[in-house]
Amino acid sequence: MSEPKRDLVESPEEAASSGTLAARLSLSHRAGGIAVPVATVVLAFLLGGLVVLATGHNPLTAYHDIFNGAGLNWIFHPATSTTQSAAAYNLSQTLLVATTLILTGLAVAFAFRCGMFNIGGQGQYLVGIVVANWLGVNFAGLSLLPHALIAIVGATLAGAAWAGIAGVLKATTGAHEVISTIMLNYIAIYTASWLFGDGGPLQNSTQPTVPISNPVSSSAQLPVIWGTKGFQGLDIGFLIAIAALVVFWALINRTTLGYEVRAVGFNPEAAAYGGINVKKNIIRAMAISGAFAGLAGALDMLGYLYQYGQLDVAVSQIGFTGIAVALLGRNTAVGVFLASLLFGGLFYGTTQGLSSNVIQPELATNLTYIIQGLVVLFIGADILILYLWNSRKRLRARRPPAQTPAKATTA
Amino acid sequence: MTAWGQGLENPVSERLRDPASTGYVAIFLGALAAFLAIPPIEARSPTWPIAIGIVAIALGIWTATRGRRRLGWGAAVAGLLGIGLGILATRSGTGNLETVFDTTLIAQTFGLATPLVFGAIAGMFSERSGVVNIGLEGMMLMGAFWGLYGSDRGGTWVVGLLLGMASGGLLALVLAFFAIHLRADQIVAGFAINFLALGITGYFFQQFYNGQVTGNISVVPNLHIAGLGNFFEGSIGDLSILTWASFVLVILAYVVLFKTPVGLRIRACGEHPRAADTVGINVYLVRYCCVVLSGLLVAIGGVYLSLGPQGNGTFIFNITSGKGFIALAAMIFGNWRPAGAFAAALLFGFSSALALKLQVYSSQAATLFQILPYVLTLVALAGVIGRTVAPAADGKPYAKQ
Amino acid sequence: MSDELVLEMRSIRKEFPGVVANDDVSFDVRRGEVHALLGENGAGKSTLMNILYGLYRPDAGEIRLNGKPVSFGSASDAIDAGIGMVHQHFMLIPVMTVAENVVLGTEPVKDGFLLDEGAAERRVAEMAKTFKFAVEPGALVEDIGVGQQQRVEIMKALYRNADILILDEPTAVLTPQESSDLFEILRTLRREGISIIFISHKLNEVLEIADRITVLRRGKTIETVPREGATEESLARAMVGREVLLRVDKQPAEAGDVLLSVQDLHVRDDRGIEKVRGVSLEVRAGEIVGMAGVDGNGQTELIEALTGLRRAESGRIEVGGRELHHASTRDVLDAGLGHIPEDRQRRGLVLEFSLAENVALHDYALPPDSKWGWLFPKRLVERARRLIEEFDVRGGGPFTPAGALSGGNQQKLVAAREISRDPKALIAAQPTRGLDVGAIEYLHRRLVTERDEGRAILLVSLELDEILSLSDRILVIYEGKIVGEHTGEVSEEQIGFEMVGVQRKAPAA
Repeated sequence: MSEPKRDLVESPEEAASSGTLAARLSLSHRAGGIAVPVATVVLAFLLGGLVVLATGHNPLTAYHDIFNGAGLNWIFHPATSTTQSAAAYNLSQTLLVATTLILTGLAVAFAFRCGMFNIGGQGQYLVGIVVANWLGVNFAGLSLLPHALIAIVGATLAGAAWAGIAGVLKATTGAHEVISTIMLNYIAIYTASWLFGDGGPLQNSTQPTVPISNPVSSSAQLPVIWGTKGFQGLDIGFLIAIAALVVFWALINRTTLGYEVRAVGFNPEAAAYGGINVKKNIIRAMAISGAFAGLAGALDMLGYLYQYGQLDVAVSQIGFTGIAVALLGRNTAVGVFLASLLFGGLFYGTTQGLSSNVIQPELATNLTYIIQGLVVLFIGADILILYLWNSRKRLRARRPPAQTPAKATTA
Repeated sequence: MTAWGQGLENPVSERLRDPASTGYVAIFLGALAAFLAIPPIEARSPTWPIAIGIVAIALGIWTATRGRRRLGWGAAVAGLLGIGLGILATRSGTGNLETVFDTTLIAQTFGLATPLVFGAIAGMFSERSGVVNIGLEGMMLMGAFWGLYGSDRGGTWVVGLLLGMASGGLLALVLAFFAIHLRADQIVAGFAINFLALGITGYFFQQFYNGQVTGNISVVPNLHIAGLGNFFEGSIGDLSILTWASFVLVILAYVVLFKTPVGLRIRACGEHPRAADTVGINVYLVRYCCVVLSGLLVAIGGVYLSLGPQGNGTFIFNITSGKGFIALAAMIFGNWRPAGAFAAALLFGFSSALALKLQVYSSQAATLFQILPYVLTLVALAGVIGRTVAPAADGKPYAKQ
Repeated sequence: MSDELVLEMRSIRKEFPGVVANDDVSFDVRRGEVHALLGENGAGKSTLMNILYGLYRPDAGEIRLNGKPVSFGSASDAIDAGIGMVHQHFMLIPVMTVAENVVLGTEPVKDGFLLDEGAAERRVAEMAKTFKFAVEPGALVEDIGVGQQQRVEIMKALYRNADILILDEPTAVLTPQESSDLFEILRTLRREGISIIFISHKLNEVLEIADRITVLRRGKTIETVPREGATEESLARAMVGREVLLRVDKQPAEAGDVLLSVQDLHVRDDRGIEKVRGVSLEVRAGEIVGMAGVDGNGQTELIEALTGLRRAESGRIEVGGRELHHASTRDVLDAGLGHIPEDRQRRGLVLEFSLAENVALHDYALPPDSKWGWLFPKRLVERARRLIEEFDVRGGGPFTPAGALSGGNQQKLVAAREISRDPKALIAAQPTRGLDVGAIEYLHRRLVTERDEGRAILLVSLELDEILSLSDRILVIYEGKIVGEHTGEVSEEQIGFEMVGVQRKAPAA
């Protein structure tokens, strides 16, 4: 207590042991810039490659196949031969996955910016799916714009409300958002499974033994901008996701709301001192976070899925992948965009019949999960980042003594 | 990131902090459960009496593990009685119910609770030492797959059990290294562990079995007990030895955590690592051991999923499907105490068993009972009722001075 | 008490970046004596004890224990050597019993592996009886009072066979009754041959309990005297010193209207203890009112209540004639109260934010910073640039994160933000804590300038020098009450006495 307070520049070590999650993650910006996410990805791919190698496959060929499967070869030869149109199609599919990932990634990123960890992206996404399906199937009389708009807005608000529950619980009772969003995930999963299941309210009206929903009416289906609608072309939802990135960026960096969110995320005590209502911000940030995930569900449903089944509910992991996207993308708009492309490519690229048959698509899909897990593991490790930070400092520290004697001799 | 139990101050629960209020509500709900089934309301289906009864039992467990032991367990019994009376009263009209409520329901409750018990006790060791273990789900998944693989290659389930435990322990070691030495955010690292496990098990399942287990695989045997009379033979006469092992584990966990010097030190590390450090306890070592032990134990729950009576020598992608998280919920529900966690696991198992049984004629009711554990945890966690006391340093990386 | 020396610390030096905390400090302890270490905040007492306890390594000097030189690498080395420390913040586990806390790490065992709770409780009960502790071994630590918790800390040390016991400001957290109980225990311990180092800045206590007294001031040993012959006056003189480092040139105040007024304010802290017990004060336009007091006498809670960060139990607060009843921080800001908080890193700044963003912490939602929720970063940057120049903030531009600035420049930034809002009244809490001389001078001059501009300034500080050189009027706070008010010339000694409660003789004495 009576020790003189040392006013050093706050070290990352102090930030790491004392700060909020947002503060801790922000230190990576200072510590390594773009180097850390790139190194993380490279390391994850290397380790994933080792697994591939250990099980008797050639990792280089496998990664090359995934690259082509994602349609990225189109970028190098955007001509129009037969293989190129296949590549173009693959790329459009990659972007379709990326659309969802951008939004689920933004959902996680927004909460992170306010110092919270929203693990509930999956549940909020499903709520968006359900509401978009319900609104898209009904109100068939409407014309395209209002119908699609109603469905999108409805699903977005539903996602916001679902996440908002966790926000309200945290703000009013202090319940940890991680546990409450996990619980909300499973509640959403079982509810959706029941709604679309046999005898469920949203089950299709023609085949009573198939646990799948009705398709949304054509008046609510989003227009396709690349490819053809019958073959699951890239719909306008991709542009909406890009717009969401811009909205996210503007909201965070250019509005008073974003200012409050960031202040609360970095230092709730200073925010309160500044006159910011911390509890209000917790609830609002969680709701906005959920809105992004709900929007993801709406765009998937109205853009290309059109109907959803019990099985889809069971296997969907896309909301969880948003966490990897946000962490890798450093919770920034640009980062989330790039990370979405990476994971979108990985996801779609691994579902294809890979050309060289080096590795089965089912194996490759799981490779994606491994890489995803490794990326999150490495990016969350402060000390790895601190190590980079410190070695940089050591490098800088080493230089001046080398100069001083030189000066002394010339002087 | 703050620890589980902490957060913003809670003016609501401040007023309702005395858990007795929960206990009285639970007793009331128990009575309500029975009342619903008799005139004048006379519910035809037992769904609501049972659902309300389960809520009553849950509140009872909550109360009991938070300081009002006698009242809480009394309330839980009231809930049970409410369910029983509710069933008795509604039973007369509908023959269908007989198929649902028989002794196998009890057996199934124990069966479905087994992985939850292992998971909850496993989580307890990790969290009591101060490391939040969100990775339970992934470690359980590892146990399920590698248990199956070991049994397949080794020819006996014993090899499977050992390999399964080793795989869970190994993954836990990764979590421990990142959480303790690298001081990663424990929740982020645990989450990564889950994805890693999903990918690893999926990958090797495809590699070794092409996504489909064929052929006979040695499974964990059941313990047959004869001569107990119809009721007991039907309910506990044919349980897996792992189920019995889970009962033993609860007692062992209680003894170790609360009756030995080792347990005292574990809890000290989870409550106040600096204080533990100043009296010469190696906080890092304790935490490493506890996290790895946690992985070993939860993996047994995973082995049970693939080699137990329900899996019976099969594996499917993501076979755990959230059981690790319910185990975590059971642990929180039981206030980080073995008996409470065990009771919560049984209750959640009962709810799942009902969901399975009711599937045949009411998907609504089945869904209701599937969701109930999650809703209960959500409500409980909100801490509106009583107090959840996570170990004070749970989730906080410890840096030596 | 014998004359046998159990501990000698010779010529200890310890430097922290920018501060010499201990400079050639020498200190020794005899067997079975209570040796008080007396000094103001920042005099170097805690540093010296942390060196003894193995938490810091001295830069120079020697420690001898029972005549043999020792070197401690960690606290456990010190514990093994028989040194026990009772920290100001207890190292106790609230959810465990007294006995469990005492035996933790050295537990008695039965049946090979079980914890022998019975033996533990018996041992603790025996110890409690020997030293007259009156502590229930089976009680949970969270259920017993602070005084008893402190005894558990003492028992922890005794259980580990400590024969030198360090008590770091042990009475800071105690009531007078608990303090006198503690002294009774210390006398018992002394009879049992245990040596006690008693860290304090309260003169009456030291005179009551200590056999010898060593006074530290600004990191140096001033004197070691036996209690016999020492008086409060002589000790205070040694402790406070005569020199005054800083003098600020200023004109006499021309006080105007009352801009900040507080009447009969009562505030409780987080643990529900009443820390502000009926404070009334007025600050007028154009005057600096200094509030002197030892740390922990209610200053923090008073400021938090004034600024809307903590809800007052009762009382009346007015800023510029506007009553603020249960006002939010926002309302307080709008009423025209500025606040330089005591902990700039924890509360005053968002360290991850740029200087420009920090400058806007109160006004980001108002024009010209923003309009209809849209933020204009360029305007923030412009304003930051202006303030950086006006207040001479060095080490970064508008885009630099605040965490990258030195403490002095961080504080200038906070001051710049608060003053630039043109507040009617300004609360400056410890505005120069931990700063270098240049920054201190700047801030002092600035506060006087703002006074001359007609603001009402309430300066709360633990540094008596600062209070004396800046204030037009001085209030002394002790145990949550204003115990003295002075205008015009007043001696340092007089205020120093009031700060440590000398005016009212200790009730337990």
